[in-house]
Amino acid sequence: MSTLKIGVYICHCGGNISHYVDVEEVRAAVAGEPGVVVAKTAMFTCSDATQQEIIADIREHNLEGLVVASCSPKLHLFTFRETARRAGLNPYQYTQVNLREQCSWAHRNNRRAATEKAVRLVRAGIARTNLTVPLEPFKIETVPAVLVVGAGVAGLRAAVGMADLGMNVYLLEKEAQPGGWVNRPGKMYPAGRVGKEIIAQLLAEVQERERITLFTGAEIVEKSGSVGNFQVKVRVGGRRRQEISLNVGAVIVATGFDVYRPAACEYGYGFTGVVTLPEYWDLLAAANGNLIYRRKEIKDVVYIYCVGSRQDPEKENAHSYCSRYCCSAAVYAALQTAEINPQIRQYHLYRDMRTYGKSELLFTRAREQGVRFLKFAGDNPPRVEEQAGGRLQVTVCDLLTYGEEVEIRADLVVLVTGMVPRENEQLVKVLKLPLGKDGFFNEIHPKLRPVETVVDGVFICGAAQGPKDYPESVASALAAVTQSAALLKKGYVELEPLVATVDPERCRWCGECAAVCPYAAIEKGQYLYRQVAWVNEAVCKGCGGCAPVCPGQAIDLRGYTDAQIKAMIDGLLKGGL
Amino acid sequence: MPLVDPEFLAEVKRSPAFNAEACLNCGVCSAVCPLEIELLPRKLFRYVLLGFKDRILANTETIYSCLLCKMCEANCPQEVSIAENVRALRFWINKKVFQL
Ligand SMILES: Cc1cc2nc3c(=O)[nH]c(=O)nc-3n(C[C@H](O)[C@H](O)[C@H](O)COP(=O)(O)OP(=O)(O)OC[C@H]3O[C@@H](n4cnc5c(N)ncnc54)[C@H](O)[C@@H]3O)c2cc1C
Ligand code: SF4
Ligand code: SF4
Ligand code: SF4
Repeated sequence: MSTLKIGVYICHCGGNISHYVDVEEVRAAVAGEPGVVVAKTAMFTCSDATQQEIIADIREHNLEGLVVASCSPKLHLFTFRETARRAGLNPYQYTQVNLREQCSWAHRNNRRAATEKAVRLVRAGIARTNLTVPLEPFKIETVPAVLVVGAGVAGLRAAVGMADLGMNVYLLEKEAQPGGWVNRPGKMYPAGRVGKEIIAQLLAEVQERERITLFTGAEIVEKSGSVGNFQVKVRVGGRRRQEISLNVGAVIVATGFDVYRPAACEYGYGFTGVVTLPEYWDLLAAANGNLIYRRKEIKDVVYIYCVGSRQDPEKENAHSYCSRYCCSAAVYAALQTAEINPQIRQYHLYRDMRTYGKSELLFTRAREQGVRFLKFAGDNPPRVEEQAGGRLQVTVCDLLTYGEEVEIRADLVVLVTGMVPRENEQLVKVLKLPLGKDGFFNEIHPKLRPVETVVDGVFICGAAQGPKDYPESVASALAAVTQSAALLKKGYVELEPLVATVDPERCRWCGECAAVCPYAAIEKGQYLYRQVAWVNEAVCKGCGGCAPVCPGQAIDLRGYTDAQIKAMIDGLLKGGL
Repeated sequence: MPLVDPEFLAEVKRSPAFNAEACLNCGVCSAVCPLEIELLPRKLFRYVLLGFKDRILANTETIYSCLLCKMCEANCPQEVSIAENVRALRFWINKKVFQL
């Protein structure tokens, strides 16, 4: 077996490893492994001093491979790749062995066995390193343009932001009119501005910017290419249907949400006088002195909260999440109602008052103005019945009145409806967008990577990724702007070279690999006069799914070749079990 | 089952000093009351807000037993003028029950 000259460093991790594993014994056990020229232990391998020592060793011994047995590669893979690079060693000839999460922390009460396992793990790492070859990341030039899908408040703000950073923006709106749910005549919390005016202002800003092209009645129908350089096809509606091809470096999805539509008879929906929050919102905007519904003046209004939200998770297709905006929107509607006519009596039947942050002040104001709040339990919702004379009767078990069942007579019942994911099958299919359990688009990490998706170069923002009010939608839109601009401004992206490769001599193009690839990275290609599998290296994530299904063993994964995996297994098993 | 009477609040509310509407039902008042009166003031305010007149009339004794010591008021996070509210309610009872 051919070997490289390898340096091995075993870390105490300040005791995290050495309390449970005899690191000195591990060092002694692997020092004689094929290829090992240097074998040392260190208190903190990631410290500057030890990194300097590693660099000096690499230079002095002309090392060709490096193994650090320490913590998870999630923490320090890039640290030590960089150490290797600084010493003139190819970063891909470095292997990190995880002795902490995968050994010492897991086996705290058996030092003997933990030490033996550590020896085997390090041997496997050395075996893999012996078979590494120098690799370079792929560089892909990025196109300084972005596609924004959805022209609601989030999409419009994202478009303006991208244009101001010098990017060309194609803004797609499916409907004939841009603006989304904010584009309505009603006033909105927190600033009390009319939704339509907010949209009009944003549209004016869009119009001022030559870099932005807005397509209405437009939908994306096809996407190919990869991060930094996508080709997309867009179908523009209107009288003359037309397909347009665009070239963009990133895609921002801002397709928003839909409002929950109550089922027939749910809380009396269908009775005259039972309306949803958006319907009531329009009614308020149209009010002039008095609140009129179907030519009748409204005196008593009952609101029922959490309609279509926080449903029992046991129920099929339940919307079990909180829709977040509706408590504040309903309380704000109460204040507007009181402004229109302070004589109107309002009863808010809620489950929990989630007027978080500054909206808490709206709740206090509403109470001070005499709006009455009653609390019901999720498993004992209010009932709505029609009464003779066209009035409605609501019965609720009010927890604030010690669980007493009370009756309220009302002219209008407002169902405070929540947010649900918007039907967007075509878009999901074309962009391969990941959906969460709740049906909204999923980010990679809700805290640390909140607008990125697993599809490189495709970002999400606004209420498309889950319930948000409009300031939150705008904030996430600007986060998506920053993330995509950070990607495109550099001018190129560097991609990991650890991808699948096809040996065309062996490939017979059976298509098995293409069928299993979750990223659609494998296409049909040409080799001499034959058809063979071809891997789009920019799209391949190196997951390895394709390699084992190939009947002719024509596919290998760079950095994790079959030969390397076999050598690692031999390393793990060396000396018997 | 009690029916909500939307007019009652206005009947009791003689002056803007009556501000039981601001109550957020935390229960601090009931917890600190030296007489350990169960009804006062949180529950009482619910009856006023929802207009359960009968309940109030059935509890006139209790309403008069309040010391107006303002222990509750000093601790109320919503600055409800509890004592003033009890007074307003006594005023209403005086008129209604005792025809004073
Ligand atoms: C009744 C009601 C009252 C509210 N009141 C308030 C309030 O007072 N204050 C507040 O802050 N928030 C309020 N909200 C919430 C606010 O409406 C949302 O936060 C906001 O609309 C989210 O913006 P968005 O751009 O993410 O989504 P949307 O407004 O849903 O916009 C998405 C846009 O994308 C388009 N689109 C969808 N799919 C595609 C596709 N495949 N291709 C192209 N385009 C597509 C849609 O047509 C739409 O124009 C309220 C919501 C409702 C329902
Ligand atoms: S915001 Fe309020 S009304 Fe809306 S789902 Fe959450 S708790 Fe219910
Ligand atoms: S390694 Fe994974 S992502 Fe790459 S081509 Fe194979 S299956 Fe697709
Ligand atoms: S302390 Fe104040 S807010 Fe709390 S229950 Fe009593 S009156 Fe209401």
